[in-house]
Amino acid sequence: MESAGGILPWSEWGHNSVSLLAVNDLGKRFGGVQALQGVSFTVQDGDVLGIIGPNGAGKTTLLNCVSGLFRPDRGDIRWQDRSIVGQAPYRIARLGIGRTFQIVRPFPSMTVRENTAMGALFGQPAGRLQPAEALRQADAVLDLVGLADKRSHPVLRLTVPDRKRLEVARALAMRPRLLLLDEVMAGLNQVEVEQALEMVRQVRASGVAIVLIEHVMKVIVGVCNRALVLNLGRPLLEGPPSEVLRDRRVIEAYLGERYARGGDA
Amino acid sequence: MIALHLRLRPSTRRLAVAAGAVALAAVVIAPLSSTDAAQQAGLPLLTDRLWFRIATTVAMFVALASAWNVIGGLAGYASFGNIAFFGLGAYTTGALVSNLRWAFAPALLAAPLVSALFAAVIGLPLLRLRGHYFAVATLGVGVAVGEVVNNLGPLGGATGLFLPILRSDLLFFYLMLGTAALAVAATWVILRSRFGFGLLAIRENEEAAAVIGVNTIFYKVSAFVIAAALTGLAGGVFAQWNSFINQENVFAVSDNVEMILMAVLGGAGTVLGPVAGAVVLELTIETLAGGGSAAVYSQIGLGVLLTVCVIFIPRGVIDFFGGQSRLSLGYLRRTLRETSA
Repeated sequence: MESAGGILPWSEWGHNSVSLLAVNDLGKRFGGVQALQGVSFTVQDGDVLGIIGPNGAGKTTLLNCVSGLFRPDRGDIRWQDRSIVGQAPYRIARLGIGRTFQIVRPFPSMTVRENTAMGALFGQPAGRLQPAEALRQADAVLDLVGLADKRSHPVLRLTVPDRKRLEVARALAMRPRLLLLDEVMAGLNQVEVEQALEMVRQVRASGVAIVLIEHVMKVIVGVCNRALVLNLGRPLLEGPPSEVLRDRRVIEAYLGERYARGGDA
Repeated sequence: MIALHLRLRPSTRRLAVAAGAVALAAVVIAPLSSTDAAQQAGLPLLTDRLWFRIATTVAMFVALASAWNVIGGLAGYASFGNIAFFGLGAYTTGALVSNLRWAFAPALLAAPLVSALFAAVIGLPLLRLRGHYFAVATLGVGVAVGEVVNNLGPLGGATGLFLPILRSDLLFFYLMLGTAALAVAATWVILRSRFGFGLLAIRENEEAAAVIGVNTIFYKVSAFVIAAALTGLAGGVFAQWNSFINQENVFAVSDNVEMILMAVLGGAGTVLGPVAGAVVLELTIETLAGGGSAAVYSQIGLGVLLTVCVIFIPRGVIDFFGGQSRLSLGYLRRTLRETSA
């Protein structure tokens, strides 16, 4: 497991320190489906929190609530101790929360560089940039995510892994304090996962806290200092990744009860 | 990032600028010199009042198509309600001149203000709708405003509104040309600004735009208001130029469709696309308006041409002047895949 490197373990935060992000008792219902219920967690500076859970567990719904695309039915989401529930997505973005989409959403008629520059142009908490400066900053971000040599490509010519990198680049160009990554490594091969892990480590090292949704367990163990397991919209377990992934309930939720019983033997 | 859709090679750009300057100079100077000099020279085209009518109409549609382009081409919201802005502008100027005896100049300035205000009010609810829902809702607004005006006694009701005739071909030609130039200049400025990039982001993927910090509602409403102001200004000029307005001539949905066709055929989302589309299409329509059975067949031909263009040249004819695309079989195959997806 990746060492937490100077970051306090999740169970030892002082109560007097203000969390970067604090989600408390979050609930969201779509018609007859309770997508989220009683979800609580906090993110501190320097954290890399992994959110895992089977399909339909509510992971993406959770990110959508945090980034303002959905309004939760109950509970609170606090950013540096101020509630952001009900705020427009653009405001939440400018507070310093960047995100990617699981199904990538590039601006199709723009180049890689232009796509990335859009993040810098609109999302930076520090204020307004002019287009030329946004493009300059985009170049620096593209170096980090490994798209520098494809900067003038039209997005539609990018491969799937590159499109995922572009999602990250556009969010990073916003200079966020918290980055929400929704399955950016799904569908990548072994080598590409290693590259992506390295990228996440670099982002963390630059002082950005990260919440990432991932099915690839190697990623959870490799970069996260904590993991939160969701199942059917409810929190199942939270703790250090290596412990969480060994937990019988987690194996059951992912692979079914029978597998868990067999695994015990 | 500059001019996302029209990346001209430097040599092409210089040529285009030179050609544009010559064409503009010709358009501006020709009518001035025409009235007397051309009469003496015996140039029938320039002396004919028909020339002014056609040229003024073309300028009007350049303004209308360019204004539509701001909300439809840049922000990607296909408005069928721009004709309401045109009609409101026309009736604002018309009522102020005819009923309240205002001078034409202040009455004309009021037109874009009223249309812009109306756009801000209906924009807040309507711009929450997307795709065809937005198109249908705006279509409803266009028809509804026309019906309301048609039933308002003080505005002349079904009879329409008459304005004191101001006989000056030159004045109205230059006013329309000025309105068109304003619309084109506005598009040029917007496309180079932060605001313009925000609109393009909304067009390309609205949710992605929102989560990277684009204030989508404010941007969309602003684009709608700008389009409305330009369209309303053209309406105000039209009212005095035609000196008679009614539901049929200022609230015609077919005119709204024409704006869209011009912008889309020329190249929506570009500065010059709607200009090219408006000039070519309006001149074609004026030519075909001659009448007779040939005109009917020509209309059918025009319809077929429009359909084919929308399928095969979705980015408009302006796409071929960017130095990146050439009209070839491969291009048609690519665009067919794009439009049929």
